[in-house]
Amino acid sequence: MPGVELAVTGLVKRYSSHVSVGPISFEVMEGEFFSLLGPSGCGKTTTLRCIAGFEATSEGAITLNGKRLDHMPPNRRDVGLVFQNYALFPHLTVFDNVSFGLRLRRLAKREIEERVARILEVVGLPHLASRYPTQLSGGQQQRVAIARSVVLEPRLLLFDEPLSNLDFKLRLQMRSELRELQRRLGKTSIYVTHDQTEALALSDRIAVLSQGRIEQIGRPVDIYEAPETAFVADFIGNSNMMEVSVEAKTRSGTVMRAKSGLQLTGPVISEGVGSSLRVLVRPEHIRLRATREDDTPNCMTAEIVDFTYLGEDVHLRVAIAGGGELLVALKSGRATRNLECGRSIELAIDPSDVHVLRK
Amino acid sequence: MQIASRRPWWLLFAGPYGLYLVILLVIPIAQIAAFSVLTYSPTRIVARELTAGNYTRLLDPYFVQLFLRTMRLALITTVICAVLGYPVAYVLARARPSVMAVGLFLLVVPLMVSTVIRTFGWTVILGRNGLVNQTLLLLGLDPIRIMYTETAVIIGLVNVFIPFMVLPLMAAIERIPPSLEEAATNLGASWVQMFARVILPMSYPGLVSGALLVYTVSLSAFVTPVLMGGARVRVVGSQIFDEVLVSFNWPGASSLALVVIAVTLILVFLALRLTRNVARGEKPS
Repeated sequence: MPGVELAVTGLVKRYSSHVSVGPISFEVMEGEFFSLLGPSGCGKTTTLRCIAGFEATSEGAITLNGKRLDHMPPNRRDVGLVFQNYALFPHLTVFDNVSFGLRLRRLAKREIEERVARILEVVGLPHLASRYPTQLSGGQQQRVAIARSVVLEPRLLLFDEPLSNLDFKLRLQMRSELRELQRRLGKTSIYVTHDQTEALALSDRIAVLSQGRIEQIGRPVDIYEAPETAFVADFIGNSNMMEVSVEAKTRSGTVMRAKSGLQLTGPVISEGVGSSLRVLVRPEHIRLRATREDDTPNCMTAEIVDFTYLGEDVHLRVAIAGGGELLVALKSGRATRNLECGRSIELAIDPSDVHVLRK
Repeated sequence: MQIASRRPWWLLFAGPYGLYLVILLVIPIAQIAAFSVLTYSPTRIVARELTAGNYTRLLDPYFVQLFLRTMRLALITTVICAVLGYPVAYVLARARPSVMAVGLFLLVVPLMVSTVIRTFGWTVILGRNGLVNQTLLLLGLDPIRIMYTETAVIIGLVNVFIPFMVLPLMAAIERIPPSLEEAATNLGASWVQMFARVILPMSYPGLVSGALLVYTVSLSAFVTPVLMGGARVRVVGSQIFDEVLVSFNWPGASSLALVVIAVTLILVFLALRLTRNVARGEKPS
């Protein structure tokens, strides 16, 4: 059972008069890949900079391996940061960039050379040691930046949106490389991003932030499939979110009606009849049926209002016969081939896919 | 002809200034060059007889001393400007825009004040009964002689010419992304180590051009050395002034001026070589 490596407790960062970030608390386990996910201005970068020591905390404590970090100067923290723009030293070669920290630690020349050679091997750039950063591609610069931090073997690695400056294909490639590298090195890592797919793909756990607070912490599958708040549901993926009131409770589920008139059957819940709730249905959890099956719950007839063909997927906006609109995402295939605007289709939602939000 | 016709017609607008340069710079320098190899005549100023005497006389101990003193003063001024200017340039480059604007204004104010007034100000401070000596007397110490010494000249030159050091340095430091400083810190560098390994090498071209500017303007400085150094601290500039306007030895003054120009050009050339090597290191060839 791995122990807690980094603990952030009641972190508050105040800018001038108003509280900007916090209080934020979370724990990162040893070897864990932990993401801070949120829109710009949510406090994720501030949190990261507080851990790195570039921002002073106003309140709270940060401990790394049980030792207080927040009063330590930033150059003594044993925390490696990979910058969004890589921040490679343009006047130094790849070798000199990667050996920068090793030289500051006054290691023997032989050891420096060995460690740099080893890490360049790991990131796949052993042949580029004598190049300057401007002579490298974006992906290569990214790898040098990672190597420069990793070579010092810090206790904790921080990533500040490291893939956001890369084009789409390279981003996907670097994403899997980064994940693979982190697994191989087993380094505890905190990854800041506003890109939900990146966070979902990379993380062991994700903290979703909004307006300086943590909305939810959980595994990617929890965050996506069981969001606790409307913000998380809305921020991660597409969503159908509805205000509903509980109409009836049965042994098998809860019958709810949205303001639009749409009736849904959801899972068994503790709230009583008449209480109002907010529920979420992921567009890809709505299934297309060939024929109407009245015996199963949540069957509905709908008319396609908007139709977007995306190759792998088909996105629909449909008007439900009883009232209300839903977003539907289908895998493209034989069943979706003849869909078009104005057509009437049969849809079904499994009651377990109707997710009740806490707030 | 073909190549010429492809150039945009509006390049012609550079013409007036080109003409200005030719008339007011190239021609006078050519004339100075010509004077420098002609003979001085007490009656006609310049006699039409070729001679190398204007140059050979510069090997006199007097002139060797003169040049060494001038170059020493310029060098010390440059070093002091660099040492004092680096922190100022760094602070201004990293300051908020409003602070930077005020700082820049304060920095160039000495350039806007007439040399005579500025020097008079220094006399009030450094003179025999000036602020410095009165303070020393109050403290029970012996007054010191500053005015009309090399120290006074250096103080004056640093005061006027420090903007020439700070401005290029500032421009160079501004171009260094602050994230590089953070990266160095994150990798374990103390502030001094960060400065030495990131700011200094990356602002090096700014330092070279600043040093070049300060050195060359100090080398040819005339008013400040005369007013603050007096007759004791003669420099090449004051020698040229005297030979042109007091003894009317135009050929002699011309040879002195040409040597200063030559030294300046050599330094410019060396500085360009130095900075080009840096630039080559930064960019793909």
